[in-house]
Amino acid sequence: MERIFWVKCPKCGGRFCCDYELRHSNLKLICPFCHEQFLDAESPEIDERL
Amino acid sequence: MAKDLRYFLEKVKNELPDDYIEVTRSVDPNNFDITAILEHLTKQNKFPLVLFKNPKNLKGEDTEIPVVSNVFAKRERCALALDWPVDQSNLPLSLEYARLEREIIPPVEIGKEQAPVKEIILRGPEADPAILPGVRHYEMDLSPVFTMTLIMKDPDTGIYDITFAKTFYKGSQRMGASIHTPHLERIVNKYKERNEPAPVVQVLGHHPAFYLGSLALSPYDADDYASVGSFLREPLRLVESETWGKDFLVPADAEIIIEGEVLPGEKEIVDPFGEVTRHYQAQCIRQAVNVTAITRRKNAIMQDIFSGHEGHWNLGALPKEGSVFNAVNSRYGNVKAVHLPHSGIGRLACYISIDKKREGDAKIAGLAALLESWTFQVVVVVDDDIDVFNEKEVVWAILTMVDPKRDITMVENVHTVFTTAMGHNKMIIDATKPLDRAFPERFRIPESAMQRIKLDEWIK
Repeated sequence: MERIFWVKCPKCGGRFCCDYELRHSNLKLICPFCHEQFLDAESPEIDERL
Repeated sequence: MAKDLRYFLEKVKNELPDDYIEVTRSVDPNNFDITAILEHLTKQNKFPLVLFKNPKNLKGEDTEIPVVSNVFAKRERCALALDWPVDQSNLPLSLEYARLEREIIPPVEIGKEQAPVKEIILRGPEADPAILPGVRHYEMDLSPVFTMTLIMKDPDTGIYDITFAKTFYKGSQRMGASIHTPHLERIVNKYKERNEPAPVVQVLGHHPAFYLGSLALSPYDADDYASVGSFLREPLRLVESETWGKDFLVPADAEIIIEGEVLPGEKEIVDPFGEVTRHYQAQCIRQAVNVTAITRRKNAIMQDIFSGHEGHWNLGALPKEGSVFNAVNSRYGNVKAVHLPHSGIGRLACYISIDKKREGDAKIAGLAALLESWTFQVVVVVDDDIDVFNEKEVVWAILTMVDPKRDITMVENVHTVFTTAMGHNKMIIDATKPLDRAFPERFRIPESAMQRIKLDEWIK
């Protein structure tokens, strides 16, 4: 099963899931709710439990 | 007249009129209007083909381009698309699909002046997919997504590959393409190694047989344009593209075509998107596409797949049922029927009914079926008195015939396609009646009584 992690948008608080390839990738995630772009490290919450 | 989408819509109106609905009120596809309407219908157990006549485009403007969805949501409409009797839309339809899959009809090339998809040609800044009524499907989707097939061409052999793959609108003439299937990836990688942009087109509407044919399991070096011809039962008409001319031919009778180039080394963030599994595909990195042209009919209709619903699942089930039946039956000769149910999204579960002769037959059939598709996670084998198209009967067989200690076989650490809790494990469930011990018999009304009693003679 592919690994995913959940983030929370620092701007609107929307939660969405990302493929683990994006974790620590230095690529900006895009919030699907407000389109804010941010690094995973900037998410106030991260759920990456296995 | 060449087969196209509007030919099929007329056919549905005439032959399956209860299956056709038009929505004339203005809809905003980018605000879930279309998927909410379809979801309400689904909750009412209704799966009509729906034509949304007055949508807005991605700029929020009224557009003259309608959207049609749910085309494949009933097997009867898939049968109609393949010129097959609609009252034979269960296993006979799947066996006909498997037969068509083994044949080809080479395409024909026509001139631009004859090609309906060339009635309007947009290049440069005008070729902005924002003019189209792109559909945003689910709450967490990153953007509106175009869900129909991509076409790419091998730079060495010249064969064309047609595969369902979604594209995400990223602004102006930029798209993110979710290219992740083996054949398309192979083509993309060839161009990447040459550091050249890879031509790609997306076909946003055609006769449904075009799309059903695109799902035929063919080797990489088979020309999908010829495979599709078999399903159309006539040669697919092709015309030169705007961007590459005769070096890349495109379907002449399509509704809308987006031409673009996969840029070597450039990526875009795509997803989440509510996928066939009914879960969101997680956000990830995929290929960036630069749009070079959009061509369409003057009165084009844009097609969309209501993902994770009946049409999407039928597009998984139909191409596999016949080939699994043929493969398992050719080895063991005891298969009665095969069905990939909607509960398994037309991909995860496979139900097989067999004429069981000895203990072990069910496991053999199950193992043979697992070899036929990497997508299967659970194969349930039942006796031939169980209708595999009737899920209640299949579940009854599981609940009454299965001893979990003996009849469930786990196959561990194998390749899977979809992300589910089963991970890389698969399961075969032998739900056949045991032959090696005394076991109750299923009840039945005598056949003579069933034949003698005609219901309309008793109940007015």
